[in-house]
Amino acid sequence: MPAEDSESEDAVQTSAPPVGLVAGTEDSTPLQFCVALDEDSYLQLDDVVVTLRDVPDVGPVVTSGIVTQVRARHEGASYGSDVFLISDGVLPARTQEIAEVSTTRVEPEIYVPPRPGEGVRRATGTERAQALYFDQMDSRVPVGRGRDGDPIYVNMEFLDGTRGAHVSISGISGVATKTSFALFLLHSIFRSGALGPRAVNAKALLFSVKGEDLLFLDQPNVNLNDDLKAEYAALGLPAEPFASAGFWAPPIPDDTTGRPNVTGRTSGVEAFWWTLEEFCDKQLLPYVFADAEDERNQYTIVIHQVAARLRREAMSVGDYGAVKVDGAVLRTYPDLVDLIIDRLTDEDTRADWAGPVTGTGTVNAFVRRLRSSLRPLSSIIRADLPPGPNRAISTENQQLTVVDLHNLHERAQRFVTGVVLAAETARKEDAGPGGLLFTMIDELNKYAPREGNSPIKDVLLDIAERGRSLGIILIGAQQTASEVERRIVSNSAIRVVGRLDSAEAGRPEYGFLPQAQRARATIAKPGAMFVSQPQIPVPLAVEFPFPAWATRLSECAGPVQSTPRTPNGSAVNGSGRVSSVAPSADLLSRLPDDDDIPPF
Amino acid sequence: MRFAVDGWDPAYGSGMEAEGEILTESTATISVDIEMPAGKWRPVDPSPDCAPPGAVLFVDGVRRVEARVWIDDPVSADGEVPTEATPALCASYAAGVICCSGDRSHLVGAQMRRGLFSTAAHATDIVTRTGSYTAHRVAATTAVGAGPGSLMASLSQALQRRLGDIEMATAAEARSITHKHGADKHPDDDLLVIDGPLRGRQHLPRAIGYIKSHRTTYLPDELNAMVGRLEPGQRTPVFLMGTSWDRHTWYLRLPGEPGAPWSGVVRVECAADLPKTEVIRLAGQSQACLGKYASAAYKDSRSPQNLYPIGGLERELRHRLGDPKLLYRALRAASIRA
Repeated sequence: MPAEDSESEDAVQTSAPPVGLVAGTEDSTPLQFCVALDEDSYLQLDDVVVTLRDVPDVGPVVTSGIVTQVRARHEGASYGSDVFLISDGVLPARTQEIAEVSTTRVEPEIYVPPRPGEGVRRATGTERAQALYFDQMDSRVPVGRGRDGDPIYVNMEFLDGTRGAHVSISGISGVATKTSFALFLLHSIFRSGALGPRAVNAKALLFSVKGEDLLFLDQPNVNLNDDLKAEYAALGLPAEPFASAGFWAPPIPDDTTGRPNVTGRTSGVEAFWWTLEEFCDKQLLPYVFADAEDERNQYTIVIHQVAARLRREAMSVGDYGAVKVDGAVLRTYPDLVDLIIDRLTDEDTRADWAGPVTGTGTVNAFVRRLRSSLRPLSSIIRADLPPGPNRAISTENQQLTVVDLHNLHERAQRFVTGVVLAAETARKEDAGPGGLLFTMIDELNKYAPREGNSPIKDVLLDIAERGRSLGIILIGAQQTASEVERRIVSNSAIRVVGRLDSAEAGRPEYGFLPQAQRARATIAKPGAMFVSQPQIPVPLAVEFPFPAWATRLSECAGPVQSTPRTPNGSAVNGSGRVSSVAPSADLLSRLPDDDDIPPF
Repeated sequence: MRFAVDGWDPAYGSGMEAEGEILTESTATISVDIEMPAGKWRPVDPSPDCAPPGAVLFVDGVRRVEARVWIDDPVSADGEVPTEATPALCASYAAGVICCSGDRSHLVGAQMRRGLFSTAAHATDIVTRTGSYTAHRVAATTAVGAGPGSLMASLSQALQRRLGDIEMATAAEARSITHKHGADKHPDDDLLVIDGPLRGRQHLPRAIGYIKSHRTTYLPDELNAMVGRLEPGQRTPVFLMGTSWDRHTWYLRLPGEPGAPWSGVVRVECAADLPKTEVIRLAGQSQACLGKYASAAYKDSRSPQNLYPIGGLERELRHRLGDPKLLYRALRAASIRA
């Protein structure tokens, strides 16, 4: 926030009248105390309050905190039925509200309890910033607005790896708006100015597993009105879509032109696949076996044997990335699989390919698994398409890279995620920690489950533990943090929680939420999140604005700027408003209805 | 002033402190022909014409002896340490008014006092950490030989008089407040219900005394029998009663579980000098409004006579007297310092 605001904020703070007094019926401690409220005042959950106590020889000690619970009760009533007498005007009673405050900061650090009877007032302006440590954040990223309408920030140093990294977002599908929040966070990181000159080199990599709703991030939202613009402005952010974005989608299966398999967006999306040459040379075979249970089985030894063999034997053939192994030219994934199976089942070659002491049972297990990968992976591992210039997924040439996986089988999704992440990690390793790469992965529990091992989990663990120094920041979203590898969750500096299932809210992974917030998380509305960061002892409730970018074709403000690819070539007409006007019904039906669709 | 705090629980022996009517008068003069001749006495039903008052004010007070203290006789001129001491009471007492109007029932005024009641001429205020006890000198009316028991009784009576004083003060104050805050559209449409006898407060306008317990039979037997036959809401005709003071009075049965013949029966009284129509109007009003406030047995051991507002008021006032342990401790600390 600009420093020049502070003067006017000071004026506000001095005029804030007390809303109540520190209560004496409950123990007041330096970390938690209660406030009895005036009859004419109120405090709601998440309000920031401040109280002052004069300590001998020290001077004024300011204790600030956040309201974590508010109770109201009739004083003078002893039976439940007394309320009827009281509302009939028969029994005298007084309604008293008590707010419970969790301390966020004591300044100076003299941990004395606020004494009963001391005035408590709402913290505004500078006092609020102090209470929430915003004054100690050199660079800060707005993550939404608090219940009081003012911005809530996250310390950039806990996002960019300086003091911590990684974000973990949990919440139920459909109402937790995890993806929307992650996108808003990225927008805020890139556009708030918190990164300074590093913003130029900051990139984001997104894996989209739920429909095509991330394919319109570079298009303005048609619902962007002045109110929404004002909301963004209040947070110091431009209400604009992502300016620099690249989109990749798998090619249409059984199509020989290499068009991307998307329906909503017809231009600006590149098809991606790996050639057989890359598959052999970079030893991508382990990522074919990326299920959690795979690692527990014997045949993993075969995987590595075969991968090493392929790398040694494969020779490049032609321009399309075909390979020649043992004299046979392989152009498709089925070709490759057939060859491997042939070599493994042949008594003469088995020892060479599977290792000298591998039993047939183990080999057969491998073969069975390999064969089942045929259907999922044939469309993205191939050497029968002309290689376009942008076939390979890369974060190099744009700020935001979206990889659309929703049309792929789950096994193929794992393959793509694993290979891309490994490649980007290797690239960052070579390049050094110059820029930042924010990697957003939805359904993290699928890729890095608590139980078992897999190549992807290894990559993700590597990112979680070393990413801070490499400049790779993981933004993981999952329905249940309790099912994600513990080391990934515990390495996340920023933890965000949306609506939670009540059974899930009780798990120890959410221990950072105070009891009242846990209960609240089970009724959190879409668009409301609890953000926990290391510097602030209490998670802050935030509401983040509706996306300024389109999240579906019907939300695109204008035509998706395009080269006409539709059969009749009418994608762009003179008016500039085209096919997006009338998206066909089947097109809309393809959009997911289970998660994170604005309007919240 | 040097004093010592009696180690005995101040509640000990307080059973003799009566709640107002200390002595039971047995020679009451009764005049039953006020509303109707004795021969025609019958239970009076609530009159549908008689609207309940716009606001009902309930006045009550509570008292608590915090400690019995012994005040040392003053040091004589020749410096001889005294050996004699005078007993005294340190007590807290409070009075307040609840205004029940419409759907709101709230405390409109309360006063709390602490006092030192003693016959010692040199008694001065006792200042403690938790408040100071104002010295009230009580004339030693009882003969020397009457013993400490009657002395304590007179101290207790003095305390009761003080309590009565502040009850009256709060009542007067509450009336002026309720008129001022305009809650009542008709400033005179209120009824002041005093918990206990009206004695000494007859001059308050539109005031009735409310007596929960019956120690003496006032009515002649044949009329008295009718009290037991009253239906809930019914009352006896008004009669005039003269003991040490005169007042109009009537019995009223409150709604409640049927039980003993006199269960739920209260006696209500108003000033003797009121015109007959006014007395009958007050009696009708008492019928119209008091039943609403009768308490349920499971909520109040003195139900239904102990009305909800009065129960709530007493609880609130007792609360305002403060924590007895804390007060006792402060008194002991003060006695050591003195």
